[in-house]
Amino acid sequence: MGVMRIGHINIRVLDMDAALHHYENVLGLLRADQDGDGNVYLRGWDEWDKYSVILSPSDRAGMNHIAYKVESDDDLDVLRRRIEAYGIEVEECPAGALPDCGRSLRFHLPSGHLMYLYAEKTYVGKAVSTTNPDPWPDGLKGAGVHWLDHALLMCELDPESGVNKVEESTAFMQDVLDFKLTEQVLVGPDGDIKAATWLARTSTPHDIAFVGGPVKGLHHCAFFLDEWSDVLKAADVMAKNKVKIDVTPQRHGITRGATIYFFDPSGNRNETFAGLGYLAQPDMPVITWTEDELGRGIFYHTGELNEAFTTVYTEGA
Amino acid sequence: MSDEAPCPVFDVRIADTGEVYQCPARETLLKAMARLGRKGIPSGCHGGGCGVCKVRVTGEVTTMAMSRSHVSETEERQGYVLACRCYPRGHLSVEVVGKLHKAVTRPRYGFV
Ligand code: FES
Ligand SMILES: [Fe+2]
Repeated sequence: MGVMRIGHINIRVLDMDAALHHYENVLGLLRADQDGDGNVYLRGWDEWDKYSVILSPSDRAGMNHIAYKVESDDDLDVLRRRIEAYGIEVEECPAGALPDCGRSLRFHLPSGHLMYLYAEKTYVGKAVSTTNPDPWPDGLKGAGVHWLDHALLMCELDPESGVNKVEESTAFMQDVLDFKLTEQVLVGPDGDIKAATWLARTSTPHDIAFVGGPVKGLHHCAFFLDEWSDVLKAADVMAKNKVKIDVTPQRHGITRGATIYFFDPSGNRNETFAGLGYLAQPDMPVITWTEDELGRGIFYHTGELNEAFTTVYTEGA
Repeated sequence: MSDEAPCPVFDVRIADTGEVYQCPARETLLKAMARLGRKGIPSGCHGGGCGVCKVRVTGEVTTMAMSRSHVSETEERQGYVLACRCYPRGHLSVEVVGKLHKAVTRPRYGFV
């Protein structure tokens, strides 16, 4: 019942040819479709629904929307009532409003990010099929990422004026969409200000994360790889292609993921995220990071926040 | 590199600090600075998306697509560019505009 997983993200790009080289040849996503408005649809080889990334040509970088898939069509009715009862306006969009998807709910998170929920998307199957499959398909390009794993959204945080959109969006995800809080960063003189949260519906450490910053934005969207050796190979692929790397292979203390942060040619941050971290069962206790160990939470090896982490990101709507 | 035609190299002067570095015509102002390990212009996404490398340039440049969230058409006409999207066509002077949004005068709260 309810939300299953991240479904797709719609990212705006300044130069479609450069973006396609990046998402197809560097990340290794497979092209699924292209529409008359120039939007291109892609997915990872291990995904079975038609697409998980929509690239839209634009003169502004950033994210248009993020979408999550719910288990059944009935869930949409239940969730619509719950979202409205929480005081958030919901628009029900007909099938096809999201291409290749059934009807969907469209609403804004308290942080202002646009979110859709849908129950159906055209099924195309995994690249390795479902009958006696090989562990990976031939002909993968670049990093050969498996799937869109999660996104981190920057939410306005200004404790001095009482603004904490991290806290508001987190409460919404927990109370209305039944996400489980797996990890949190608590800051401030009394250690009670939620400055960042990681939340899951699957049993992975996160399906979405929120971090406080000066303005709303898209911090990154992440694609899954199996393990460290895949992450190191991905870094080589990025260097060969002169991709701008933000943080070279490193471990996150939070979620335990093995990571690279890098940018697409329009400046949208991507991540390759390896390892399932731990099993985030519903009764797993919440993990808390304190302000003094925040650097280690984000970048476990260096233990230092880099300047770009909370200052460099693209638009969130 | 050796089989490519010789590429003109221009001086870029960072007005704020008086520092000067060399930037080849085929490299962006930000990339050349970062490659040389120099500082002065804030370095971020290198894709024209985040806006931290915004500068006002005096001199001749060519630019690639820059996110309109950070440089409006009016600003572009006034010489504002993103250094990561900008190639020199002559010796230049730049004034740093893009600031890393950072609290300096009030207590920090984790990330902000
Ligand atoms: S570094 Fe992000 S716009 Fe130039
Ligand atoms: Fe991530």
